[in-house]
Amino acid sequence: MQVLALLLLVGGWMIAVGGLVASDAVAVRLILASLGLATSLGGIATLTSAYIQNASWKKGGAWR
Amino acid sequence: MRASRAHRRNGWWAAAILAASLGGVTPLYADEAADPVPITTADLKGVSTPSSDDLAKGDPGGALTGSAADIVMADPKAGLTIADVVNQVGQNRIAINFVWTLVAGFLVMFMQAGFAMVETGLCRAKNANHTMMMNFMVYGFGMFAYWVMGFAIQQGGSAGITNLGGMNPLNGEFKLSLFGKDWGLFGTKGFFLSGSAYDVGVMVLFLFQMVFMDTATTIVTGAAAERWKFVAFAISTFFLGAITYPLFGNWAWGGGWLSQLGANFKLGHGYCDFAGSGVVHSVGGLTALAVALIIGPRIGKYNRDGSPNAIPGHDITMVLVGCFILAFGWFGFNPGSTLGASGAGSLRIGSIAVNTMLAGATGSFAAILYMWIRFGKPDASMSGNGLLAGLVAITAPSGFVNTVGAAIIGFSAGFLVCLSVEFVERVLKVDDPVGAISVHGTCGLWGVLSLGLFADGTSNYGGSWNGVDGSVTGLFYGDAGQFVAQLIGVCTLVGVIFTLSYVCNWIVDVFVGQRVSAEAELEGLDLPEMGALGYPEFQLVTPGTGHSVDVGR
Repeated sequence: MQVLALLLLVGGWMIAVGGLVASDAVAVRLILASLGLATSLGGIATLTSAYIQNASWKKGGAWR
Repeated sequence: MRASRAHRRNGWWAAAILAASLGGVTPLYADEAADPVPITTADLKGVSTPSSDDLAKGDPGGALTGSAADIVMADPKAGLTIADVVNQVGQNRIAINFVWTLVAGFLVMFMQAGFAMVETGLCRAKNANHTMMMNFMVYGFGMFAYWVMGFAIQQGGSAGITNLGGMNPLNGEFKLSLFGKDWGLFGTKGFFLSGSAYDVGVMVLFLFQMVFMDTATTIVTGAAAERWKFVAFAISTFFLGAITYPLFGNWAWGGGWLSQLGANFKLGHGYCDFAGSGVVHSVGGLTALAVALIIGPRIGKYNRDGSPNAIPGHDITMVLVGCFILAFGWFGFNPGSTLGASGAGSLRIGSIAVNTMLAGATGSFAAILYMWIRFGKPDASMSGNGLLAGLVAITAPSGFVNTVGAAIIGFSAGFLVCLSVEFVERVLKVDDPVGAISVHGTCGLWGVLSLGLFADGTSNYGGSWNGVDGSVTGLFYGDAGQFVAQLIGVCTLVGVIFTLSYVCNWIVDVFVGQRVSAEAELEGLDLPEMGALGYPEFQLVTPGTGHSVDVGR
C-alpha cells in the first residue's frame, strides 16, 4: 500500500509536468496540473490510510 | 514694493499651475527643460569640501560629515576623477545591498529563538529541554549540511544576481536536455564555499540562504516533538539541509527548471516564490508530515476508537512571545528577499514589509474569529498559529501583490489553518503537537497558489523576473499561465519533495529508529535523551510510577 501511495505521489507530478510537453494551451496544462495534484493528494490519502490501518493506538491501548 | 511684486509673481505661478492641472498639461520643471550636461573631471576639481579645521570643531548637525573628500581615489596624486566617483557609486549600491541582506539575514536567524519558544511552549514541561535542544541544534546540524553541499546544490548555478554584485563564481548548473528544453536540476559550484566561491558576494548570499534553510528544518521538530529520538533528528536534519531543501531551492531560486517554466514554456514568469512559502515553508511542512506519519502519534493522543485527546502545552506565554519574535523576524524574511535596497526595484521593500505586517494581522484575526465562533472562546495558541499562517502565506506573494491582496491572503490563511489543524488531527489522525503541518505545509501551499491569483502586475524588479520581461501578473489580473506555473510548483512539492522526504526518513527509521522507547516517552525525553530536566524544581511526578505526568489515558 505504501508503494502504491508513493507511485501515486510521483505519478501525479509526472502528469502535471507531462502537460507542459503535451500541449501549448494554458487550459489543457491547467487541467493536467490539477489532475496531477489530485493524483498526488490521492497518494497522501493512501499513505495515511495505510498509517491508520497500522495505527499504534489500535495495538493495545496507547502503547506503540 | 518688493513684497508686492513677489506676491504678484506667486499669484502668476499659482494661476499657471492651476491652469496646467485643469487642462491636463504636465507642468514643465526647470530640470527637464535643460539638456543634461555631462560632468567632467574638471568639475570635480571645483568641488569644495569641509576643511580639517571645520571638521575638528565637530559636526553636531551632520552637514559636514561625508563629502567628496571621502570618495576613495584610485590615484591620490592625480586627484578625484569621474571614474573614482562612478566606481564609488557602484560600490555604494552593492554595499547598501550587502548590509541590507546581512541585517535581514540576522533577523531571520533570530526567528530560531521564536520557533524554539513556540514549540517548547506548546509541548509538555517534561519535554522542554529536548524540544528546546532540537530547535537549538537544528541550527548547527543544518548549517553544517548546507555548508558542505546544500548551498552548492541550491545556488551553484545562480550567477546573475546583480543586486549582490553578479555572483559570477556560481556559474555551474547541471542540466538535462529534454523535449528541446534545458531542465536545470542542481548546482555544481560552491561546495564548502571553497575555490572561486570564496567571494564576498557569495558569502552574503550563503548567510541569507542558510538561515532560510534553517527555518525549514526547524519546522519539522515541532511536528515530531515529544517522541523523536535525538540522533534520528540529527540525521534527518542533515538530509533535509543537504539534499531535499536545496533541490527544491535550486528549482525555484537557483535557476532550475521550475523557475524556467516561463522562459521555456510561456507560463507567466515561471514558478515564482518571492521569499519561500514553497521553498521554505511547504518543504518544511511536508517533511513534517512525512516524519509525523513515520513516527506515529504520542502515547495518549488517540483513544482506541481513534478519537483524539487534547494534550495542552505547558506555557502559553512562551508561545505568544515566540510568535511575536517570529513576526519580527519575518521583516527580514520577506523584505530581505529583494537581496538589496538599492536598484532593480528594491525600493519595493516598503510595500513588502507592509504586506507582511497586514497578512500576519489578518491571519491572526481570522483564526481568533473562527475559534471564538466555533468554540465560544478566543483561543490563544490558534490566534498565534493564525498569525504565523498569514505570514507563511504572504511569504511567496509579498513582493508581487498590493495591500488588499495581502490582507485577503492572510485572512484566508487564518481560516485555513484552523480547518487544516482539525483535518490533520481528526481525519488524517496525524499527531502534530504544534500545528506545523497546517501552518507551514497547508498555508505554504496556499501562499504559492495565491501568488498565481493575486499578483497585480506592478512589480518589476529590474525589468524581468526569471528571465521573462515585464511584471509578474496573476490570474485575477489577466495571466492564467502564471497560475499554472504555481500549480506545477505545488505538484512538485507534494509529488516529489514529500516523497523524497518520506523515503529519506523511512531509511533513517529502518537503520536508526525514529522514535524513542515508550518508557522514555512516558518519563519525558529530558532525562533519557538529554540527561537533564528542563524544569528540575517544578517537575511533576506521578506517585508510584516514576512517570513525570499521567498520560496513560
